Amino acid sequence: MAIDFSIVQSSVLPLLQGLKVTVQVCVLGIPLGILTGAVAAYLTRGPWRALRALVFAYVEIVRNVPFLILVYLSFFGLPKLGISMPAFAIGVAATAFYTGGYFCEIMRGAFNSLARGQVQAASSLGLTNLQVQRYIVLPQIFGYLAPATTSLTIMMFKDSSIFSVMSLTELTYQSNLLTADTFAYVEVLGTTALIYWACSVLLDIAGQWSERYATRYRRA
Amino acid sequence: MNTWASFAPFFQDAAQGAATTAVASVVAFVLGVALGCVLLLVRVHGGRTLAAFVVIYVSFIRGTPALIQMLVAYYVLPSVLHLPLSPLAAGILALALNTGAYVSEILRGANNSLGHGQLPAAQALGLTSVQAWRYIIFPQLFYRTIPPLTNEFTMLLKASSLMSLIAVHELATVARDASLQTNLPLQVFSAVAAVYFVILFAASSASRRLERRVAKVLPHGH
Repeated sequence: MAIDFSIVQSSVLPLLQGLKVTVQVCVLGIPLGILTGAVAAYLTRGPWRALRALVFAYVEIVRNVPFLILVYLSFFGLPKLGISMPAFAIGVAATAFYTGGYFCEIMRGAFNSLARGQVQAASSLGLTNLQVQRYIVLPQIFGYLAPATTSLTIMMFKDSSIFSVMSLTELTYQSNLLTADTFAYVEVLGTTALIYWACSVLLDIAGQWSERYATRYRRA
Repeated sequence: MNTWASFAPFFQDAAQGAATTAVASVVAFVLGVALGCVLLLVRVHGGRTLAAFVVIYVSFIRGTPALIQMLVAYYVLPSVLHLPLSPLAAGILALALNTGAYVSEILRGANNSLGHGQLPAAQALGLTSVQAWRYIIFPQLFYRTIPPLTNEFTMLLKASSLMSLIAVHELATVARDASLQTNLPLQVFSAVAAVYFVILFAASSASRRLERRVAKVLPHGH
């Protein structure tokens, strides 16, 4: 099978425009999700049982319901509730919701990886709760969080391809437009796949770098 | 017409869709685990060049969306392989190729933690390398990786919903059709989300039971 490089060449620009939207959704949605997940993880350590149950339900829903179904539910369902949002905003919200559920689990795992005595020892030395988190807990769990957060980020970056079903003009949607136009599946899908792959590899490298940074004290 | 009556025509459809989702996922998982084992063996025994191919394959699969892989399996592979694939076959193939890469990484991690002395030890005792993998290494790898493999199955079953985008008639397809026809997206997609939830929750509970039973049988330290 011959590859028509002129099609590859003419596809690159529209695909990169799609990548821009993909990146925008991820840059907004993933950090928002990490924040949501961190808050949810702290809530499970709090004294409110109802909130704890709510967080567990949230995490189980994220773990057990396909992202596609969640996107359909938001895209077609929200207008029925009188909430009309552009596809981009739904994309950001869905990314944040899904990332949050997974990050909550990661964060809870990180808390458990820390010896229980450390928090007690620190507070018995007179540190406030905030100081305990800032100086004792967070610096130690970053090494645990870094690799898991990297894979979560790559997972959500890839899952953003699902937003093509709600006509958000991200990378996969642009790819679908081009294949519908040219029928050049090999060239267009190949280029699209290479773009996703390159970004994932870059994210992975950045993740390894951040992991080394987060665990630097272990080598000191 | 009340809400329930407007759903009625879709119940049988939904049951069939759920069956397709479950069966396709199980078949793809079995194929994916087999592929994962082969990839691990190639990495261990295959020499540098083949091992490098496996590394690139795994990186590519982990670096591209399952949706793109599915579109490639449906639109590109049949013409490249000169092999007509039904949508369902292409979907299962894509899911299996995807899962194989992740499973090989899970098994490789377990294999590294096992240490590399067992294979030479087994061979020193007179086992062939096939016997060593069959009776010594693989059983230990699988006992140790029940939780991550279960997680992988969960991911696979969730990704199987993407088959609806290459015209496979499965649960997510039924959901989309029913939503369009009844114009009750909230109810339809919530109900279908609940079906996925129940299937996946049952699968992970079964796996936890299996894990407990394995833990009872195995000596301490495993």
